[in-house]
Amino acid sequence: MAAIPAKIRVYAKQLVELSLVDGCVSAERVAGVLASLEKNPPLKFTLVLQAYRKLIATEIAKGEARVEHAGPVGADALAAIAASLGKRYGRPVTTVSSSNPALLAGLRVRIGDDIYESSVASQLGALAAAS
Amino acid sequence: MTSFLLPLAQITEHAVETVAAHGEAPSALTQITENFGISVPLILAQVVSFSIVAFVLWRFAFKPVLATLDERQHKIADGLKYAEEMKAKLEAAQQQTAAQLKSAQVEASKIIEEARKAAKDLADREAAAATERANGLITKAQQAIQLEHQKMLADARTEIARLVVATTERVLAKRLTDADRASYNETATRELTSV
Repeated sequence: MAAIPAKIRVYAKQLVELSLVDGCVSAERVAGVLASLEKNPPLKFTLVLQAYRKLIATEIAKGEARVEHAGPVGADALAAIAASLGKRYGRPVTTVSSSNPALLAGLRVRIGDDIYESSVASQLGALAAAS
Repeated sequence: MTSFLLPLAQITEHAVETVAAHGEAPSALTQITENFGISVPLILAQVVSFSIVAFVLWRFAFKPVLATLDERQHKIADGLKYAEEMKAKLEAAQQQTAAQLKSAQVEASKIIEEARKAAKDLADREAAAATERANGLITKAQQAIQLEHQKMLADARTEIARLVVATTERVLAKRLTDADRASYNETATRELTSV
């Protein structure tokens, strides 16, 4: 896949900023932006749409925390994690949980490009790497 | 020659008789010669004959013999002189030869000593270089053994750790109960939310 030029990335970023409401991606705003682009297509329209889609996906991922766990996790724990992350990133964060027995015990939280982990598997991995 | 001297003697005798015939008194010299039977003409003839014989002998006998003797004397003297010179030259040559021989012996001894010293130096250098090479090889071998030992220990440590971790994972996967995992998850939640 060809690299997107810097000018198009900057333009797509401006479009993404127009698509946010209180730091969250708004479906109405996204629809409006797309309609505007459709009506007045810029040069290299396809590349602009690709960059816009990539940035919107990143923004959505920033508001969604994927929590992997081994063993039971209470809803209050997930809520606490969502609140903590929302406070840290300055936007509302929702959680999506999934079971991962490879962790043995503990949690792994992935939000955007960031990963937070506190699990037995990670500690054993660190122990193996340190030896 | 006798024929030449005989008339001379006869002339002399005739003169004496002529003097005596004239009646002069004989002198003392005449008397002495008569008493001793000395005849002057004969004596003169003998003197002349002797002189002639002596001259002839000296001229044709003694002189060549003396010349031959002188020549031989010269030859002998030359030979002796040549022998002396040769002897001196031989002695000089012997002395020179002895000096050259001595010098050659000294030079040969010096060369032998230098060669021996050079050989000893070379042997010492070679021995030192060989010792240095051997020490280098020993050091490298020791370093290689040490590195190999360290690598083996590190590999063993890594393998043991991997086995311990794998075993621990298997044991924990079997032994951990849901209650244990829930408890650990609560602790993890607190840890993640406190960051």
